[in-house]
Amino acid sequence: QETVRWGIPMSFGSNLTALGDTMPWVSEQLKKVSGGTVNLQVFEPGKLVPALAIFDSVSTGKVEAGYSWMGYEIGKVPVSALFGAVPFGMESPQFAAWMYFGGGDALLKEAYKPYNVYPIFCGSISPEAAGWFRKEINTPEDIKGLKFRAAGLGGKIYQKLGASVTMLPGGELFQALEKGVLDGTEFSLPTVDEQLGFFKVAKNYYMPGWHQPSTNQFLYVNTAAWAKLKPQTQAQIETTCTAGVTMAIAKAEALQGAVLAKFEKEGVKARQFNKTMLDAFSKASKEVLAEEAGKDPMFKKVLDSMNGFQKQNAQWHNLGYLPRDYPH
Amino acid sequence: MPFYEILFLALMVTFITSLFLGYPVAWLLAGVSLVFTAIAITLTTQFGVDTFLLTSWVKFSGIIDRFDAIMSNWVLVSLPMFVYMGLMLDRSGVADTMMRNFVKVFGGLRGGLGLTVIVIGILLAASTGIVGASVVLLAMLSMPIMLQHHYSKALASGIVAASGTLGILIPPSIMLVLMADQVSVSVGDLFMGALVPGLLLGVLYMAFVVIVGFVRPDILPPRPAGDEKLTARQIGIAFLSTLPTFGLILVVLGSIFFGIATPTEASGLGAFGAMLLAAANRKLNWQVIREVGIATTTTTCFIFAIFIGATVFAYVLRMIGGDELITEFFKGTGLGPTGMVMLVLAVVFVAGFFLDWFEIVLIVLPLLAPVIKHSGIEMTWFLILVALMLQTSFLTPPVGFSLFYLKGVVPKGVTIRDIYLGVIPFVLMQMAMVGLCLLFPQIILWLPGRMYGAG
Amino acid sequence: MNSKNMPADGPVAGPSGIVLPITAFSRAVDRLIGWFGEFASLLWTVLVMVIVFQVVLRYVFGLGSIMLEEVQWHLYAVGFLLGLAFTEVHERNVRIDVLAEGWSQRTRLWIELLGIVFFLLSFSLLVVWFSVPFVATSWEMGEVSAAPGGLPWRWALKSFLVTAFLLLALAGLGRLTRVWAALRAR
Ligand code: NA
Ligand code: NA
Repeated sequence: QETVRWGIPMSFGSNLTALGDTMPWVSEQLKKVSGGTVNLQVFEPGKLVPALAIFDSVSTGKVEAGYSWMGYEIGKVPVSALFGAVPFGMESPQFAAWMYFGGGDALLKEAYKPYNVYPIFCGSISPEAAGWFRKEINTPEDIKGLKFRAAGLGGKIYQKLGASVTMLPGGELFQALEKGVLDGTEFSLPTVDEQLGFFKVAKNYYMPGWHQPSTNQFLYVNTAAWAKLKPQTQAQIETTCTAGVTMAIAKAEALQGAVLAKFEKEGVKARQFNKTMLDAFSKASKEVLAEEAGKDPMFKKVLDSMNGFQKQNAQWHNLGYLPRDYPH
Repeated sequence: MPFYEILFLALMVTFITSLFLGYPVAWLLAGVSLVFTAIAITLTTQFGVDTFLLTSWVKFSGIIDRFDAIMSNWVLVSLPMFVYMGLMLDRSGVADTMMRNFVKVFGGLRGGLGLTVIVIGILLAASTGIVGASVVLLAMLSMPIMLQHHYSKALASGIVAASGTLGILIPPSIMLVLMADQVSVSVGDLFMGALVPGLLLGVLYMAFVVIVGFVRPDILPPRPAGDEKLTARQIGIAFLSTLPTFGLILVVLGSIFFGIATPTEASGLGAFGAMLLAAANRKLNWQVIREVGIATTTTTCFIFAIFIGATVFAYVLRMIGGDELITEFFKGTGLGPTGMVMLVLAVVFVAGFFLDWFEIVLIVLPLLAPVIKHSGIEMTWFLILVALMLQTSFLTPPVGFSLFYLKGVVPKGVTIRDIYLGVIPFVLMQMAMVGLCLLFPQIILWLPGRMYGAG
Repeated sequence: MNSKNMPADGPVAGPSGIVLPITAFSRAVDRLIGWFGEFASLLWTVLVMVIVFQVVLRYVFGLGSIMLEEVQWHLYAVGFLLGLAFTEVHERNVRIDVLAEGWSQRTRLWIELLGIVFFLLSFSLLVVWFSVPFVATSWEMGEVSAAPGGLPWRWALKSFLVTAFLLLALAGLGRLTRVWAALRAR
């Protein structure tokens, strides 16, 4: 057993449930299974390198590895957005199915090879909420001119529907929403949204998380650093990350019910977008995804693979499970 | 004790000692870190010594990404904007007129001028979120007048540094925004929680000035009385002269509270408002715009130079295991929740002697906030206590950033020694306030509770 | 200013309290840095206008623009980066001179010399050395903003890191010649 000590910058604070505390868990487990010799020491966002610079730092070898949502590097590697979250895409179990058994992992490694990055699937969480709105949203008309904060592909889709999209930094969101600088914002899971306090100032909480049916995190490892590891250590890291995926799915799923109940007590109306809205979002999503696929061949390749897998599994997905609203 | 811990301690000691060489703090922070990096890399590559994560120059180059993060930090845009607003306000003559009219009215009273400065400091605090900006502006407005009225250099410096520093506590506050961001709590709660302690501090300062006016007229003299009579007309003029400034505060705070702009954008609106005031007083021309721009550059950039140096320093500290050392220390104490809060406050206070709040918020908070959170302590209360401590750290020598900002703009003849001396009573008042908030958490929690119903 | 005990064209103590002669090289460097500084200083006024424009656009006309948001911090970043060297040559960087004020000019000159060489110059040159590949990678990847509708050419913004720290190194070199001249003159 070799001795390894890496500093692992994260893009989420470890206080954010499921999103940020998976890697610290993985790191603890690694220490245990290796008898204390493999130490991937996690660092809170910004402490080592900035939260959004993890891809860059791993790619250039400034750190051996880092833990991040895949998609922050959309400006450099457009396909990253697909691995992080796809509007109307796959839910966590299905995404894991595609990654491990549908060719996803191989595509991922191929896409990141030119950048000297070896990404390991290491966490996936339940759908995000669609967002907090100051008023009810019933028709696509309600989106027109809406001042909304959204990131990534979701932002482009809202723009298509006529919203005026901004990218206000996390720290300014609460006040902007309170004062009406914004009419709405999406952020993350209900448990994470709770920590930011949005329920105090916006009372319409919309679901489902059509823009992010699953949100996936990866351990980015520098290719050279990875190659230097013994096979035993490599296996230990990959296995604990696979376990991390399970833990993240379980934890994210476990905690949301209680939070929604708390929101209700605070006077928040938890709702679901109606069919008209979802159709409008879906149509705009298809357009945005097609545009992106037209710009980047790798994006198209991965999108086709995902769509193919989803299509092939569609009948099973629709028939195999109890309908979501079937009484328990 | 692993070797890198010795390196960590050596780096801290070297930095603190070298501060007194009189070389710019910004380049000392960066340069000392650089020298220690060179030492660490040599030791690990030549002698196989354990230097934690700092093992090659490529690792050190992570500082570039940290610079990039400063460059793309939208919240920090408000820093040059608030400075610009202050300088433009100064050139518009509005604040000067207000100051002079106030002095005519209140200058005859004991401590009247000092009170005026504190009140204006509170008004500025309510319009800016950045200490650098409010200290600098307040100093430029009031130091010359106070010295002209024979206030002691130390006392005048103390009044300006302390009142200017209220700007970081009284909302809007960039520090509270970043704290909320780090710990994932709502900024709204923090803003509300900080308001009452901030205003109480202002009151405390004023009480102090009144008392000094009676006890030590040699360092805080009243205006020589009897040369003019105070007329109703003068009072009216003084009142009218405050209107433009109130208008500006209305632009800045109003645009935030009525949902027109974010605090960052409000800084730009404030700068524009100051330009309009200058134009109304026929003081706005290309020459003024050019000069205000240049002064904004030098004032903003000495703050950013320190940001840059501090970010390098913090990076190297972490790369040689500083975080681990701190965590182990806290784990080793075995304290209960209240003990932990006290210890954290003590650590922040001591750290404040050497470090920038920006770095403390990044180092200490994320490390300790989870511990505090799990022990069931009210986060708003805890964070505002930390904020009070951080605000105090601006005023504690030797490394008090308010003191440096002040030193950058005081009239010739005021030394850093005067400033250090003058600030001591205000630091004591800060500590008293922290004590009060520890004993009576309602000082902090009352307002957020009223606003949002829950903590 | 200090005309009483100094010849009119002789060296004068700057804000740092250190008396330095001006050299031909430092004069040239300071002029160059002055141009960049003047340029940076104009950007703040532009920034004010952009913010006002953006707020009016959103509040009055209901139009949000991520591009305008990004223009804001691009201007801010260029402004403060180009201003670093400008601030250095104006000796506006903060020094803790509680003790140093009492030391001899010669001691302070030596500290200044060592400070420039080991701290300012090595640091800024190292940053230049690291920033060049940082900018190059961004250029090779064709990096654009990660935000929907954000600005392209992120490498262009990043390249100001190189410019800024080159200027800072020049400022250090310029001051070094002045310190050296002062030491030689004694
Ligand atoms: Na403030
Ligand atoms: Na201090």
